[in-house]
This record gives sequence, structure tokens and C-alpha cells, in this order.
Amino acid sequence: MRLEKCYFCSSTVYPGHGTMFVRNDGKAFRFCRSKCHKNFKMKRNPRKVRWTKAFRKAAGKEMTIDSTFEFEKRRNIPVRYDRNLMGTTIKAMKRVQEIRARRERAFFKQRMAGNKEREKALDVREIQKGIHLVATPAVATKEIQKAAESSKQMDLD
Amino acid sequence: MVRIRRKRMHCNNKELHHKYKTKRRTKDLDQIQEDLLPGNRERLLTRPADEDLPGLGQHYCVECAKHHTDEEALARHRHGREHKRRLRDLKVPAYTQKEAEAAVGLTTDSGRPSTQAAVGAHSLLALKLKNDAAAAAAAASAAAQRAPAMDIE
Repeated sequence: MRLEKCYFCSSTVYPGHGTMFVRNDGKAFRFCRSKCHKNFKMKRNPRKVRWTKAFRKAAGKEMTIDSTFEFEKRRNIPVRYDRNLMGTTIKAMKRVQEIRARRERAFFKQRMAGNKEREKALDVREIQKGIHLVATPAVATKEIQKAAESSKQMDLD
Repeated sequence: MVRIRRKRMHCNNKELHHKYKTKRRTKDLDQIQEDLLPGNRERLLTRPADEDLPGLGQHYCVECAKHHTDEEALARHRHGREHKRRLRDLKVPAYTQKEAEAAVGLTTDSGRPSTQAAVGAHSLLALKLKNDAAAAAAAASAAAQRAPAMDIE
């Protein structure tokens, strides 16, 4: 059983799922669902479509370099069935999955770090710029008076 | 006020569906990049007259994979936005299945199982080889222990 990857979104295509398109020069393209097939027919470039893995990797939105990627490989060497090997493989797969999930969470956290402060700074700037739009004249005059008083105080000091 | 039914929306847009049928699929960027190679380009531009093609197939734009009726139309096409956009798209290498697989970290391992370097230190195949070697060594030592006993008998 071979698990293929979708040409468009890079997700896994299990046997019996998805569509395969064979171009008139004999090249085969596999798609996980009709969404991906339709996008391919529209000649969209997966690098430019934001929801594909190719885009997310290129834009630095996901982990690219990690030792957990070293395990899953397209192996062209057949390995003789071995019960013990099978057992350890399945155990290792679960473990690797766990480790990768943890690292991905850490990567996401790091990517989002500092967002709150950045957004707050932007909000403050917007309020300062547009306060005259929402403040009533009374509040505005009050603010002006306050500012004038404080400047007077400063002068006295 | 009556709502006016829009005729050409999404699922009603017949022309759009017609255009995207795989039956009338035009060449992809990777095929065109192959056509642009020196030998292929000349072959495509010096084809015998074909009655079924527009302009007998004599006015072909290789980059856009499109036949034109005459030289004037071809020149106009070359000045156009679509042709220039196509030139820009062809500058970068075309997207491949390999790239799709690389995006999820899937690569190919075709190394011979006997070589440790090709297998990789972390792979399970390396673990199996190590286990096999240990088992073989244990069997050999067991045989060696049994052999002197046979001598005594």
C-alpha cells in the first residue's frame, strides 16, 4: 500500500480516495479531493494559494527543518516482513508524532510571540489619530484646557 | 422592488465550466518550459502548414502555446498583458509533485540497505541492521561454545 501526496495541497491521499488526472503526455497528478482538482484545472499555482502546504512552508508559517521529518521517506528498497521490526516501527511512529506535535506548538508560539504588543501599539496609534472623530466638543475643549493647564504648570515650574 | 436574477453566477457560469474542462486543457507551465529549450523551440516554430490550425499553424507563440492567424496578430499578442504575464511566470521553475512532497517533509530514500550512510543513523532500517548484526554475533558465540563440547564427546 502506497500513500501518495496530493499534487495541490500536499495532504496524504489514501487508497480509494481522491482523483488522478493523467495529462495527455502521460504524466499523472493525484488530488485528495475535488477542491484540489478544480484548483488545478483553473491552472492556479499552489505556491500562491494560501491554504496549500507549499505556500505555508514558503511563507515561513510552518516548521521546515526538523529531525522528525527524517523518518517518513519514500523507500524504494523492499524490507522483509519482521514482526519485531513492525512492532518497534509502530511504537516509534506514535512517539515521533508526539514529538513533532510538541515542536510544532512551540514553533507556533514563537511565531505569534510579540503579536499582542504590536497590535496594542497599532490600536493606540489609531485612537490618537482619530480621537477627534469620536470625542464630543465638550470633551475636546476639556482636553484642550487640560493640556493648556499642564503646559502653564510646566512654565511656572 | 423586484430582485433581478443574475444570470452568470458561479454554478450558472457555463462559459467558465466549459473553459476548465480537462478535455480542452491547454499546455501547463512545465510543458512550456520544456518547449522553450533550444532544440524544441526551433522545431515548434518551423512546422509544416496544417490546415486545421489557425493561420495554418505558422504564427505560433511558444511561451503562451497559442496559434495566431497572421504575423500582425502575433505581434499584437506579444505586446499584450497576457503574454508579458506569461513571460514573468516562466522565469521561475514550474511546480512539481516533488515540491508538493517536500512541503510535507517527504523525501526519497533509495540508498542500498547494506550501506550505513545511505540508510541514515536515525532510520528504523539502521536499527534493524544493528539488531540483526547483534543476533548473528550471539548465534556465532553460541555455536563456538557448542563446538568445544562436541570435541570432548
